[in-house]
Amino acid sequence: MNTVTDVITQPAFPAITGQRDTMAVTKLDTPLEKTVGNPFVEKPRMTCRDVFVHYGESCAIKDVSIDVAGNEVLAMIGPSGCGKSTFLRCLNRMNDTVSSCRVSGEIRLDDMNIYDASVDVVPLRARVGMVFQKPNPFPKSIYDNIAYGPKIHGLTRNKAELDEVVETSLKKAGLWTEVKDRLAEPGTGLSGGQQQRLCIARAIAVSPEVILMDEPCSALDPIATAKIEELIAELRTQYSIVIVTHAMQQASRVSQRTAYFHLGNLVEVGATEHIFTNPKHRLTEDYITGRFG
Amino acid sequence: MIRFAERFVVFFSLACTALLFFCIAVVTVYVLWRGLDAFSISLIFGGVDPLDALLGRRPVFDGLFPAIVGTLLLVVSAIVVAAPVGIATGIYLADYASPRWRVTLSALFDVLAGLPSIVIGLAGFTITIYLHRLFPGRIGPCLLISALSLGFLVLPYVIRSTQLALESLPATLRLTAPALGARHWQNIYRVLLPASTSGILGGIILAIGRAAEDTAVILLTGVVASAGLPRSLLEQYEALPFFIYYISSQYTTTQELEMGFAAAFLLLVLCGSLFLLAYGLERLLARRFVFR
Repeated sequence: MNTVTDVITQPAFPAITGQRDTMAVTKLDTPLEKTVGNPFVEKPRMTCRDVFVHYGESCAIKDVSIDVAGNEVLAMIGPSGCGKSTFLRCLNRMNDTVSSCRVSGEIRLDDMNIYDASVDVVPLRARVGMVFQKPNPFPKSIYDNIAYGPKIHGLTRNKAELDEVVETSLKKAGLWTEVKDRLAEPGTGLSGGQQQRLCIARAIAVSPEVILMDEPCSALDPIATAKIEELIAELRTQYSIVIVTHAMQQASRVSQRTAYFHLGNLVEVGATEHIFTNPKHRLTEDYITGRFG
Repeated sequence: MIRFAERFVVFFSLACTALLFFCIAVVTVYVLWRGLDAFSISLIFGGVDPLDALLGRRPVFDGLFPAIVGTLLLVVSAIVVAAPVGIATGIYLADYASPRWRVTLSALFDVLAGLPSIVIGLAGFTITIYLHRLFPGRIGPCLLISALSLGFLVLPYVIRSTQLALESLPATLRLTAPALGARHWQNIYRVLLPASTSGILGGIILAIGRAAEDTAVILLTGVVASAGLPRSLLEQYEALPFFIYYISSQYTTTQELEMGFAAAFLLLVLCGSLFLLAYGLERLLARRFVFR
């Protein structure tokens, strides 16, 4: 039986050995111990039960169970390679694009098991949108960047409706006043922060219920970051947001609940203020106090 | 020592570039200089009025006009054959094939790219004979068979450049559209292909050059020294590279040899114009992708 201390002394430990950007995977398929804190909520939007993720032989996520509530921001933190991004990508089946990746367990969006054989990923990804680490607008106009999703999903019937969707999405993303006079200009010509808000507007345009954000601010300067964080707080009133972040201050500023991942295990979940002021698990405490990570 | 090595590398690469440029300049200038005396309107149109020739009112027998038209038709039809097939195959290799198939097929297409054109010419020739037996009197060596053979010759360039262009796109661009719910083909058609336009057109430009200059394939599949303008794809035709080959091996007077040089220069100009056209098309498509 592996104990927590065994794992810390393992050489594969990414933060200590300096392999920061490689996916840390161990041969331990067994969960270390039960998650500390209550990962479940009263009225969940998404429920994840006993989720394992394997890349070939190695196990990247070990028996994770957690809920995502409606209208909340759930932050996922942890050292590099702890599996938080991998887990995030399970929630809209982006891992499907990696051929060696296998996901087991159950992930439900409302009442639908999203890994059910009958589920089509296309409408699923419209319901669970995603924003990436690096702003990645299409090399097209600002207008077309937003219009892309509604077009492929056939959400609008005519140009007027599409115009309206573009305008509301940009307004929700707080970008409308900045770009309304140059919708025909390429999206790649905007500043980094504006590009990221454009990507958020693009995700909103297909009316998702959940928005996944994979370190959305790590490529941005502090001012642009502050704007995105403000935006996240506003978006919470309409969407559920799951955000993976390296910046603990960011997690404490934007989220209501925080989940701490470590080597593929969900170590601790709880209300954000509790996790940051009074962590129960030693690993969480070590990470939050900056002893590693 | 390190500084010396650095200087040596700079000097060496500069010298190689200069040498190459010098060679190109020498060939071009020499061809132009030798052919200069032969340049005139009658070189292209013979004794026929240019307007009459262009409108097809009178045939040209002693000028290069039919050969120029023949080469143009050949290049265009070879690209029309090769581009769709090549791009589709490139997409399959880059986006759908399993890793093992990808490696195997890529190696095969590389072999195909290295195949001597005379071998493809022979294959075309064999097919012509077979078709001739099947439809006696109706199908012989002709523009269509040459175009198909040339298309086959240039296919690997289009396939490999499409594949490489698609595979070298940034991984983030590849994931963007699927994250919005696009299907794989929607991603390819709307995002990946437009983003790799310039790479694909690079392959097509190579293919144009190869199709315009190749002599061995057309020699065996339908080109003749004198045919006039082809009236259909099933007729024999003239072509510039074949004229150059023919005149330089069979010339009887210096004037005829000069005509060969002039034809060589015309072929260079023709290829150059086709490249410019393809380049312009690339710019236009790239702009359309961004500002649509």
